[in-house]
Amino acid sequence: MRAKANALTQGFIRCHDCGYLVKTVDHLLSCPRCNSHLHARHPHSLQRTTALLVSSFFLYIPANIFPIMTVNQFGAGDAHTIAGGIVELIDSGMIPIGMLVLVASILVPSSKLIGIGLLLLCAHFRWQINARRWTVMYRVIAFVGRWSMLDIFMISILVDLVDFGGIQIIAGPAATAFAAVVILTMFAAENFDPRLLWDNQKNL
Amino acid sequence: MHLFTKAMNNTNYDACPECDLLLKPAQPKPGEKVHCPRCGLLLSRPRKQSVERTFALSIAGFILFFPANLLPMVGLTVLGNANTGILISGVIALYNDGMEAVAIVVFLASILFPLVHLCLSLLISGHLYFNRPNRYLVAWMRWMHHLDEWVMLEVYMLGIIVACVKLMAIAPLKLGWGLYAFIALIIITTLLTSSLDNRLFWQRIEQLRKENKNAS
Ligand SMILES: [Zn+2]
Ligand SMILES: [Zn+2]
Repeated sequence: MRAKANALTQGFIRCHDCGYLVKTVDHLLSCPRCNSHLHARHPHSLQRTTALLVSSFFLYIPANIFPIMTVNQFGAGDAHTIAGGIVELIDSGMIPIGMLVLVASILVPSSKLIGIGLLLLCAHFRWQINARRWTVMYRVIAFVGRWSMLDIFMISILVDLVDFGGIQIIAGPAATAFAAVVILTMFAAENFDPRLLWDNQKNL
Repeated sequence: MHLFTKAMNNTNYDACPECDLLLKPAQPKPGEKVHCPRCGLLLSRPRKQSVERTFALSIAGFILFFPANLLPMVGLTVLGNANTGILISGVIALYNDGMEAVAIVVFLASILFPLVHLCLSLLISGHLYFNRPNRYLVAWMRWMHHLDEWVMLEVYMLGIIVACVKLMAIAPLKLGWGLYAFIALIIITTLLTSSLDNRLFWQRIEQLRKENKNAS
């Protein structure tokens, strides 16, 4: 046995839910400890991740074009896109908060789309890469995804509080598209199996 | 090779969830961290009295959940009209605007999932604390594991901060007790996630089941 070997090539499957190791020779379908379905790698990992990624990519376009919220002030409507809201924050001198929103609602989703795309290409074409570095990239992508919901939560608070006779804030169609992008990319990251990166490396 | 795998005992080995490296499980002392030597993933970080702490924190979180949801969080006064918001009122406002899908997402991530997550950790740690076997323990553990990522209280907190900064430009804000309870709830849930030792919990559940089998 080599010093560093994959559990699968040594005849073990790790339960995804509870971490229990099962011998492949036992041909079990479900985990003896937690009863969840056993699989050595996430089933159809690449196909599922690709499907989720492509749909979130198409939703990302309306999410950025359409207004995410509209401020109605005495009859006159003022529509804001995601980028417009950030520009307004920075213009009014709230630079740190503007930066925070910029990172959470533009940088994170777009780099997530690109990052998962690269991971898919890498796993599909069996690129010989520094697997440790790419696994760290995957980990960062999986970790930061949920923070993009920030914009959606902020809008729910604004819509609720700013509702007086003259002034009103209404959520726009981009909010639905953006929430869908965040959720779909979270599912995409969850479905991608980083162990595929390691399986493809010829010399470890 | 085949003989070798036969000689290996399941419990003597462990595999890294992200790079599938076969490992001999280390026996870290509480407070120590074990990382995967190949990909660097944090594999385990045992805590002192994990079950007791998780149980206590779950109770505290469960109690705090109600003031955090029912007391007013932020109040805004414009032209003599005062509006105060709580978690659910944001959901209702979105729903009334015709944004049903977004309203449901906000409801799940900020209210329902956090509550279910707290209830599950309360149930699991309570059963382990009192050494009570239950055939649903395994299912509860799995649900909690899958819910982890969808509990977004800390993200909601950032949303509150950004919303407050935007609103300060319009009118004076009043922060309510609900907000303080919400912050306390976030601190409690963060402590709870770090005190919950997954590996230990699974071992204890299996142990309980075996004892139960032998007794009956
Ligand atoms: Zn299992
Ligand atoms: Zn590893």
